Amino acid sequence: MKKWVMMILLCCGVLWGCSEKTYEPREIVSETDVCKICNMSIVHNAYAGQIALKNGDYEIFDDIGCLMEYIVSNGDEEIGAAYIKDASKNEWIDVFEAVYVYNKEYWTPMNYGVVAFDTKQAAQEWMTQEGEGKLLHYKDLHNFNWGIHE
Amino acid sequence: MKKIGLALLFFLFMSPIVYAEFDIQEAIDAASPGEVIHIPAGHYQGNFVVTKPLTLLGEEGTEFISKNNDPALRIENTATISISNVELSGKSKAIVASNVDGLELSNIYIKDAYTGVHIQRSKNIHIHDIQVTGSEGHYAEKGNGIAIYKSEDILIENNLIEQMQDGIYVEEVNSIVVQHNNVTQSRYATHFMYTRDAKAFFNNYLSNVTGFMVMMTTGILLENNTVENHSDYNGYGMLLYDVQRASIAKNIIKNNRTGLALQKSSMIQIDTNNFQMNQTAVEGTKVSNNTKASNNSFTGNILTARSDQLGFQLQSNYYDDYTGIDIEGNGYGDVPYVAMSSFGQWMVRQPVYQYFVASPSVVLLTTLDQQINKTESRVLVDHTPRLVTEHEIENNKLNVIQTLAGLLLLVGSLWLWKRGITK
Repeated sequence: MKKWVMMILLCCGVLWGCSEKTYEPREIVSETDVCKICNMSIVHNAYAGQIALKNGDYEIFDDIGCLMEYIVSNGDEEIGAAYIKDASKNEWIDVFEAVYVYNKEYWTPMNYGVVAFDTKQAAQEWMTQEGEGKLLHYKDLHNFNWGIHE
Repeated sequence: MKKIGLALLFFLFMSPIVYAEFDIQEAIDAASPGEVIHIPAGHYQGNFVVTKPLTLLGEEGTEFISKNNDPALRIENTATISISNVELSGKSKAIVASNVDGLELSNIYIKDAYTGVHIQRSKNIHIHDIQVTGSEGHYAEKGNGIAIYKSEDILIENNLIEQMQDGIYVEEVNSIVVQHNNVTQSRYATHFMYTRDAKAFFNNYLSNVTGFMVMMTTGILLENNTVENHSDYNGYGMLLYDVQRASIAKNIIKNNRTGLALQKSSMIQIDTNNFQMNQTAVEGTKVSNNTKASNNSFTGNILTARSDQLGFQLQSNYYDDYTGIDIEGNGYGDVPYVAMSSFGQWMVRQPVYQYFVASPSVVLLTTLDQQINKTESRVLVDHTPRLVTEHEIENNKLNVIQTLAGLLLLVGSLWLWKRGITK
């Protein structure tokens, strides 16, 4: 009997070890968190982003533009998950699933003018309220001209 | 007893502020363009709006108190405005100016507002002798002392700003001079973003997270400033990110975690600065090799310079830890000074390693680096290290009063002595 219990526990352990690892977003600490790319202190949490690496480390960003610069420079093999703040709800959402809106008049910490939303409807509501913009998806961000636009 | 209780209740519930009766908005609306409005001393609650050329001149003790979350004073779509001698307070922004050509703000005291002065799409702005004091609390929960957006021809001078997010925030501005300002206990003392033709002279920045934060800026001069005690985990005296063409000269950069950091920048001249007692004096990442630090003085720093693979050029600087000699007698050491250190390069990648700075193993490693890399000819090696720092030589000065008093005393003593002998 004891042997059986041991076997079951061992199998459970092996199965648990093989299960897919989950990556949770962590809270921003304004005292110590600075953007991995531009070095700015994170004070405008509504625009912050983060990448949970597979090794357990977190990289923090002040703007989606800086987060994309990191992905473009380092690739996405080591990325467990990536999160960005939803501009309307101030909640973490998946960078790869989010809907983005660009308008050069939108203010963001790096002035890139791109904000994120969890749904297309939320993005459209934002555009109605703040001024028309251009809808973008994650794949569009790779070729986006990050910088200030005249 | 009941009367005393009622009296106490009266004072408890009565507002201590008595508002003045002069109607500022009515006076503004009735004034002809170019007129001077003298505001009698007193507390004025409201959200005042100026849309024509005017001068608002407060008497001693004039205070504007914002009524709600709107600015206490709004200036819009006009020209030639002058505001002076007022105090402002409120929950949101104290002064907002939009589309203004010619604005002078002087002798203004702003307290407890979220943002002090916010200016956008304007030109010919002169802000001087104003004081902005933020409330207690973390800088993430406050706005900026003076914020300028999408504007041109700006002069900001002789201001005192404390406890704000950024003391002076500048975004998309062409042609700005920031001089003789004092900023303390804020996130960044002055934060330039997307700015062209900026100059900062004779500012004193003390105990902020970072003194100068310069980002995506082209053409900037930072001269004769003092940046001191930016010693937090992320503290920098000056940080330049994505900057082209900068001249950093004659500054005192003292007691910072990193004195001067350069990231992704090119054509930076670092000349005749005094780097004192910083944990790392100069740090460079992704800096083009046309960046040069020359004729600077490095004293009491733990690490002089560190960089990633490439780095920047060091030339004719003074280093207090240089151990070479000058046989030729030309004032320059005969052996190169090696600032390159393996530990410094690790610290660029992992800032947390800063806590091992000056540990025995790091000191040993740095000493070995200095011996091994003496033949290195590329970066972080100064082939002409200066042996003597350039101190200002003070000439002998004659104090007239002290000299006359001394002469008088001498003559008096001689006279008394002679008189004593003859008697």
